[in-house]
Amino acid sequence: MNGTIRTVFAQDQDAAAAVRAAQAALSGEPADLIIAFVGGKHGPEAVHAALRAAFPGVTLTGGAAAGVISSHGFGYGGFEIGLIAFHGPDVTPAMVATHDLLAGEFAAGENLGRSVHDRTADGQAVFLLFDSVASVAPLRLHPASQIMAGFQSGLGARELHVVGGGLLTDINLSGGWLLDGADVCKHAAAALIFPPGIAAETVIFHGCRPASSFLEITKIDGAEVLELNGEPALTVVERMLGLTLGTTSGQQLSLVATLGQKQGDPFAPFDENAYVNRLILQANPERGSLTLFEPDFEAGARVQIMSRDNILMLESVTRGVADLRRLMGSKTTLLGLYIDCAGRASVMSGAETEEAELVVDSLAPEFPFMGFYSGVEIAPFAGGTSRPLDWTGVLTVLQTAS
Amino acid sequence: MNAPITPSFEQLQRELDFYRREYDEMGARLVRLQEEQSRAAREARRSKIVARLVRDAYQIVHQDIFASKIGGLILAMVADTALCDKAAFLKRDPMNPENFLVEHALGGMSADALNMPAPPAFLFTASGKPPEPAASPLIGLIGVPFILWAYDEESGRGVLLGKKFEGNIHRPFEARDNEIVEVVLAVYIDLLLRKGAEAAMRQARQAAEEASNTRARFLANLSHELRSPLNTIIGFSGLLLEGRARTAPPAHRDEFARQIQAAGRSLLALANDILDFSSLGHARLQLRRDWVPVAPLLHAVARALAQDIAARGVWVDVLPLQPELQASIDYDRFRQILTNLLGNAVKFTPPGGRVEIGACLVGHGGVRFSVRDNGIGMRPEDLDRALEPFVQLKSESNEHPRGAGLGLPIAKQLVEAHDGELKLSSVYGQGTEVIILLPEGSARLA
Repeated sequence: MNGTIRTVFAQDQDAAAAVRAAQAALSGEPADLIIAFVGGKHGPEAVHAALRAAFPGVTLTGGAAAGVISSHGFGYGGFEIGLIAFHGPDVTPAMVATHDLLAGEFAAGENLGRSVHDRTADGQAVFLLFDSVASVAPLRLHPASQIMAGFQSGLGARELHVVGGGLLTDINLSGGWLLDGADVCKHAAAALIFPPGIAAETVIFHGCRPASSFLEITKIDGAEVLELNGEPALTVVERMLGLTLGTTSGQQLSLVATLGQKQGDPFAPFDENAYVNRLILQANPERGSLTLFEPDFEAGARVQIMSRDNILMLESVTRGVADLRRLMGSKTTLLGLYIDCAGRASVMSGAETEEAELVVDSLAPEFPFMGFYSGVEIAPFAGGTSRPLDWTGVLTVLQTAS
Repeated sequence: MNAPITPSFEQLQRELDFYRREYDEMGARLVRLQEEQSRAAREARRSKIVARLVRDAYQIVHQDIFASKIGGLILAMVADTALCDKAAFLKRDPMNPENFLVEHALGGMSADALNMPAPPAFLFTASGKPPEPAASPLIGLIGVPFILWAYDEESGRGVLLGKKFEGNIHRPFEARDNEIVEVVLAVYIDLLLRKGAEAAMRQARQAAEEASNTRARFLANLSHELRSPLNTIIGFSGLLLEGRARTAPPAHRDEFARQIQAAGRSLLALANDILDFSSLGHARLQLRRDWVPVAPLLHAVARALAQDIAARGVWVDVLPLQPELQASIDYDRFRQILTNLLGNAVKFTPPGGRVEIGACLVGHGGVRFSVRDNGIGMRPEDLDRALEPFVQLKSESNEHPRGAGLGLPIAKQLVEAHDGELKLSSVYGQGTEVIILLPEGSARLA
């Protein structure tokens, strides 16, 4: 394999200066494609113009990031820029994009899935990025579960290794945008299809533990859980936790608990990998409801209140990195890619150790590494197809396939 | 042997309920403990932010940067803690104490200044707290609803941090956050003072070095400028004292005396220049301004140098000028300026060359004097040096020019004492032009 992948991190209040610093660090052969992760305090147009000027003729993708994680630097102050530069056809991904998320996430995902299907064979790795924020006021996300349901429908029987994340300008969900190769776009998604010679291995880091017995969702409207066990959902959760939630912004709930659905045997011993967690986007005291990040739970589903556990989160990283090392074997690793839930940053989780730095320290500087803080993470789940996850860290390595 | 006890359904149901209650209770305790731990960690984060700000900010002390850059660097550090979306340093307007100017800003501000008659020492906003009237203008300036503000009355400086949301990521701002903003402000003010003191020290050191260089150049020049006329005086006076000179023709003896007198005048001029320069450097010159007709002044200067002009063999033209033109100047000092400039022009113009001196009214009552020659000119790199004291530029012929190298520096200082400006332009090998611009109100037609 002749191609190379390089990563670079820069940080400056001036977008052009940050890009120039990144450009200087990437001096050498011009890249074929660059994925940029851009801190939310940078204006998208200014960054795009700076990137366009610094890397003329290079396909530019990526977009907003609530923070950047790399072996060269780390931060979520909003002025970070992380670049992954691909040189050579044997490592450079092909890109397809859709701009129709606002019209319908499922349909847009399905069209994207069909496009990817037509350009791939089984086993290829795909990196999926999308604008997470549909509307700021009122706050509405582009549900990754609908995008992925459509995407899987479009893929049909094609079996791909799909990882990805939702793009956010900051941890407060105040915006999102994507570079589609030509422009700055809202309500868009892009699939980066890696060449067949590249294989991917992925592990998922968790960090939540069940904090209640099973509760049945008895009434739900999309992502808004109205009733649990026949009572207003917010009342149930407040009573069980002994906390008064949703008294101010309601968003504080996502700092406290999530709802988790255990996959497989509900009475099997605790296994963090068996849980799909959904962050609580907001609480509505008037309606007594909880709105989740994703609308993929259904009436009749048995869920548990999940507590974040910062110690478990760090243990999960240690375990996951060890698992990944076993999976990696002796193949050449070209890139480490980390998609990390923004809520895991210590500013939000309150963890004493930055979990992302633990990931970097565990791997760097063995191979180029780049990560970003996302709104939602996408990864192959429980040996099956890829699905959106909350409160996780998805670590993928791209390796030579043979 | 006892038969195993088979619990009844009711017993099992009670047991299940018991474990479920306990499990839920333990779970709730876990959540609360986690929340308490997170809250404690976020509290500790405040101290960490403060410590990090102090540590990072004081790195600036060792950086070679201007004081004007410090505010921007500190705001970048504040932003890097993810504490806020926007931030600014404000400074009391020296012209209007109720007005505050935005010194540095991170993220857009709605204006460059803010009217705040009674700035509080500290305030914050939070959704759970009644709004303070003093917060409104600050919120209006920064454009986000949740703010932290600290103000130092003594220095007249304030810091303003703001964020768009208060809920999801950060806990709301609270009174104890005064630690953060007060530290940010104190560090900023302290660094400004340090950098100011450093700049003053650097300036003083530069001045001392400059004085030392000047003294060295002065001594080097002086030895040359003294030695030549003194040798003349000693040589010719010696001749006059020897017996042979007594028998020499009277014309020879007269010539010896003239040489001695010229050397003496040269020494007197040198002493005057040195005294002038010395007095100009130490105290502001007291000018005796009057409305002086310009045309007679220029002609008088040209006449005064007639002997040198004739000796050098150059042409000096006083350019046509408005006879009514008058300038508000100190006659003696301005005559000294023009004499120095014209003398230089004559000195550095080869025989047959031309020198022009002129003046005209400019703008609304300003006046422009010019002295232009087509002499040897100066190299671009010598232009600034020519205005330094005791610097004598060498010509192509490597000929050591006469004089102490004080003519232009004295002229420049005298022009500045008139609130004017002296500009020098030159093309090497083609000539030099010196322009004096006196400001509006310095000239009239009478």
